[in-house]
Amino acid sequence: MSLPGLELTQPSEERHLAVAPPSQITLKAGSEWRFEVAFGHIVRVKLLTGTAELFGTELAESQTYTFSGTKAAIYTWYGCELEVSAGETGAVTSDGVTPVAGHGAGGCQSEYTAEETPMIEYANLHFALETMRQEAQGSGKDGPRVLLLGSDDAGKTSLAKILTAYATKSGRQPLVVNLDPTEAMLSVPGTLTATAFRTMLDVEDGWGSSPMSGPSPVPVKLPLVYSYPLANPLDAEASVYRPIVSRLALSVTGRLAEDEEARETGIIVDTPGILSSGKPGSLELINHIVTEFAITTIVVLGSERLYSTMVKQYDNKPSASASATIFDERISVLKLSKSGGCVDRDEAFRKATRESQIRSYFFGNPMPATVSAALSLSASTSGVTLSPHAQVMDFASLSIFNYTVISTEDEDEDEYDPSTLGMGGSFLPTGTDDSTTQHQEPDRAAPLPGIIGLSNDVHNHTVSNASSNVPLKKVLPPAPSALANTLIAVTHASTTASPAQVRDASIMGFLYVADVDAEKGKIRVLAPVGGRLPPRAMIWAKRWPTEVVGLVG
Amino acid sequence: MSGLVSDEVAEDYKSSLEDLTGNDRFQISNLTVIAKENTEHAMAISRVLENHIRSTPPQQKLPALYVVDSIVKNVGTPYTLFLGRNMYTTFMNAYTLVDAQTRRKLDEMLKTWKEPVPGSLDTRPVFPPEITRSIESALIKARTAALQQEQARGNRDILNRGRGTPPGMSRPANNHHGTNGHGYGTPTPPQGPRPGSELDALNRDLEACILSARSDFAAAPFDPTSQQRLKALLDLQTIMRNQQLTPDQLRLVRDQLSAFRPAQAVQNPAPTAPPPAAAPVPPPAPVPTPPSQPVSQPLQNLLNSRTLAELIKNTAIRQQPTPPPVNPNAMPTMPQMPQMPQMPQMSSASHTPQPENPLIAALRSRGILPPASAPPAMGSTGQPSTGDALPFLMPGGMRSTPPAPTPPVSMPVSSTVPMTTASMKIPRIALVASLYEAKSNRCGTCGRRFPTTQEGKEQKARHLDWHFKTNQRMSEASKRAQTRSWYVDERDWIKSREVDDDQPVADTDATTEGGAGAEGNAAKQGPPKAWIRAPNDATLRNTPCPICQEKFESTWSEDVQDWIWQDAIKVGSRVYHASCYAEVTKDGPAPRSSTPQARTGTPDSVLGKRKAEGTDSPGGKTRIKTEA
Repeated sequence: MSLPGLELTQPSEERHLAVAPPSQITLKAGSEWRFEVAFGHIVRVKLLTGTAELFGTELAESQTYTFSGTKAAIYTWYGCELEVSAGETGAVTSDGVTPVAGHGAGGCQSEYTAEETPMIEYANLHFALETMRQEAQGSGKDGPRVLLLGSDDAGKTSLAKILTAYATKSGRQPLVVNLDPTEAMLSVPGTLTATAFRTMLDVEDGWGSSPMSGPSPVPVKLPLVYSYPLANPLDAEASVYRPIVSRLALSVTGRLAEDEEARETGIIVDTPGILSSGKPGSLELINHIVTEFAITTIVVLGSERLYSTMVKQYDNKPSASASATIFDERISVLKLSKSGGCVDRDEAFRKATRESQIRSYFFGNPMPATVSAALSLSASTSGVTLSPHAQVMDFASLSIFNYTVISTEDEDEDEYDPSTLGMGGSFLPTGTDDSTTQHQEPDRAAPLPGIIGLSNDVHNHTVSNASSNVPLKKVLPPAPSALANTLIAVTHASTTASPAQVRDASIMGFLYVADVDAEKGKIRVLAPVGGRLPPRAMIWAKRWPTEVVGLVG
Repeated sequence: MSGLVSDEVAEDYKSSLEDLTGNDRFQISNLTVIAKENTEHAMAISRVLENHIRSTPPQQKLPALYVVDSIVKNVGTPYTLFLGRNMYTTFMNAYTLVDAQTRRKLDEMLKTWKEPVPGSLDTRPVFPPEITRSIESALIKARTAALQQEQARGNRDILNRGRGTPPGMSRPANNHHGTNGHGYGTPTPPQGPRPGSELDALNRDLEACILSARSDFAAAPFDPTSQQRLKALLDLQTIMRNQQLTPDQLRLVRDQLSAFRPAQAVQNPAPTAPPPAAAPVPPPAPVPTPPSQPVSQPLQNLLNSRTLAELIKNTAIRQQPTPPPVNPNAMPTMPQMPQMPQMPQMSSASHTPQPENPLIAALRSRGILPPASAPPAMGSTGQPSTGDALPFLMPGGMRSTPPAPTPPVSMPVSSTVPMTTASMKIPRIALVASLYEAKSNRCGTCGRRFPTTQEGKEQKARHLDWHFKTNQRMSEASKRAQTRSWYVDERDWIKSREVDDDQPVADTDATTEGGAGAEGNAAKQGPPKAWIRAPNDATLRNTPCPICQEKFESTWSEDVQDWIWQDAIKVGSRVYHASCYAEVTKDGPAPRSSTPQARTGTPDSVLGKRKAEGTDSPGGKTRIKTEA
């Protein structure tokens, strides 16, 4: 409510408030400091003594970490002392609505120390997984595949980070799969990703960063990205979400088959909260994920009801893995407490987060220009400025596809309306539309390279049964003006690929459409990388993930 | 009885029960409450409990039995009935499989079952006496078998040493063996406390009594009087061995024992039998010999059971003799008893606390036996545990669910953490150390930890090296524009391997090669030609090579998806033709531009390889995309 959107542009006239003196916070063993920093604020945190970790990733002593647009918690197992100070733009409530908010230590909107945390449970989960990994190491069994379930703001992603951080700390290499299209991991929203984590996470920036042409102070991570350009996985009866999940699972399985370390460590799957909401179709989708990833461990955060449903359905049942019968691999269902520190992120905050993720995809993650003034700062700031390339393209030369499913993205995503299902041009019989006549060829996705013998018949089957059309339609000239200020995902599929291939293709990157000149048939786009744009099929997501106005001046 | 609803309740109960892996008071009371609220399904729940106790791993049997205990004590009737039915089997099955420590706990629990629920107005014991007694007698029998085994060994040992020990003399020696466990090597030592020959005599008498009682018991295993008598005698013997008794006390003991004398006198000739009977039994195979004994001991019945019964009646008010509870289930269970693993431990286990015996209680009440349970320090594994195992249990110790000593016990043993909701709640702060103290060597820049081993030091050195280079490159990089790289496609992602920054550089190639043969090989096929991306800056683009003063030619590389300059390298801020530069510096092949990147463990290394691979004819060779 009180949270601002992106207000980086807002001049901070209240400089006269001066920087508040740094405050020191002493944490007892087993407690955590929870803080919220608005977008546009900067809060610097320094660990003076002791040990502390942010979502499992340890803070280095006397290094300054800067936070902005964050709601997080710093936990300590053994006790520590933190120094919190405001960045230059801090000490100002940039939203101007809640003057009290900025009066927390270092100008945090809210900050307090909590002694009750579920960290013991979370750590135990890690140790239990570690037990399974050791077993896997010895026996040739596959490592644990964990599915994290829980409603929105239950702390799923935080738990995923903790598990990932602990795993890398233990010398493991977990494959982390993000199935939440509303919240990106190492990419922009509207994507489903899988990433192997070997190196530590970025304390300041959540998961870290995907590769850039230059170096990064925290090792970059290499995500495999798929586009799911709708807000709600349940849209169109999950007929879009489902095959993409299958495809992602297939790639992950392929990686596991070849990457010994990943195999031993297993998978951590983070899910969108809507799956745990009990909406119609959500259980089927959970089942789909459990099957596709051969989940061995289902962790339910907080939700009693979902837990009992999961226990009934999965507990002690054999996992879907091929080797399940050999090793008598069984699914265990666990319930963990939701942290009291979980706060609801309102839509404004989520939108701001999405915008900042898109922004940092193109422009990197520079800390606002005042960094240089902070002489106390060491070089640890992860600010890397990126220079995207603007170019004008001929719209007709592009092969842009668009999902014809009507998304519920503009409304509250909870208000899923089954009545919107089945609408859209794609359900017209083949042949009524020029573009759809092209794909008389079977709706078969390209076989996944490198994996012979694995076939994705299953989902193709279901898809072609449901409707032989993938709800993807080529966007034909003239260029729709709605393209402006939106993102276009560039796939790895060729321009002549069938809709199914386009849907299943991994993503190469994103373009931001700055301008549409419908008359000349030209669009001005921002591409992350310079040079000619490769000829690839693209997916346009209409107004999802978000309309970012003014990304390009 | 077991309708659909009952089945559901049972199913739910079963799954909750499966979550119970440790002695968790909260969970146990939770399970009790559930049982209390579902008394209409008591039968189903009882069956679930029984099945669970039977099938659960040994270390989880105790908590499950504690649930039973808690239910029968807190809820009572329907459960006592249902659970009582098979309690003998349930209990004995569990008992045979658990370790000595757990057995002691089970014994304690069993003891409380013979008494009324603490604080309850009902004076009846928790379980009907028949049930507890049948269990007790089976335990005694097992214990006897174990003891006999030991005795047999002891006797044979003595025979082996060629001592012509008369049967009577062999008994003190037995005592010794019993006391010191397996100290076969030592010559007949002091028999524990030795206040003189009186004690010897007393011991002999006691021994004789025990022998006869034992044979008596073997003949009628289900006769409660013989059980109790034997038990009493054995306990007394233990006390005699382990505790220093004053002559006065001894006299009292003697007086008590004299009640047995007449019978014992008749008994005396018999004891020669056991050694031969037991001798053929190999020590590791603890097959009990009771069946063979009655044959050689025809006089067992001479021990007047009424005498003892009287004694017992006098000394123990609460113990009413009951008709022998013949449990049909007893038979299959009994033979299992001696097959318990690890004979030596079993002997100690079998002397775990027993319900307080009336005879001993009587002795104690007269001040003959010190109430203290501390044994005179005996270090060996055999009997000494009997000292504290004696049933001098304080009422406080009867709590059926002691505050969870069990989980911590299992914790330090190994770091195995079961994947259950219950197990998640148990604090394992010691394991957290594996994330912290175990690697105490911290990187000052990023907080990463390394072990203090030599290897850890090397890792850290490489890691710091990485930081240094990264910082260097970052300050360099900040001068030129950087861009977000394209994401890799499926194949590259599957083939890519994360490389940590603390790995030796050589490993990088090895890892990559292992995973992606083609790329690794390409990198090894001779020195790749150098190339760089064409600069975006116009002035830079028009700057010629400082050596040959020729301009660079931009070519589009399909691989890199970018304009590149062939045969070019960047040295500092200037770009040279790689060949010119190599000639001038006589440096051999020019350094690959991607070399430093290979250490970031990022896709850069993958891309770098690809670049290298493509340099032979970039633009000409189109990398075949799977989608094409």
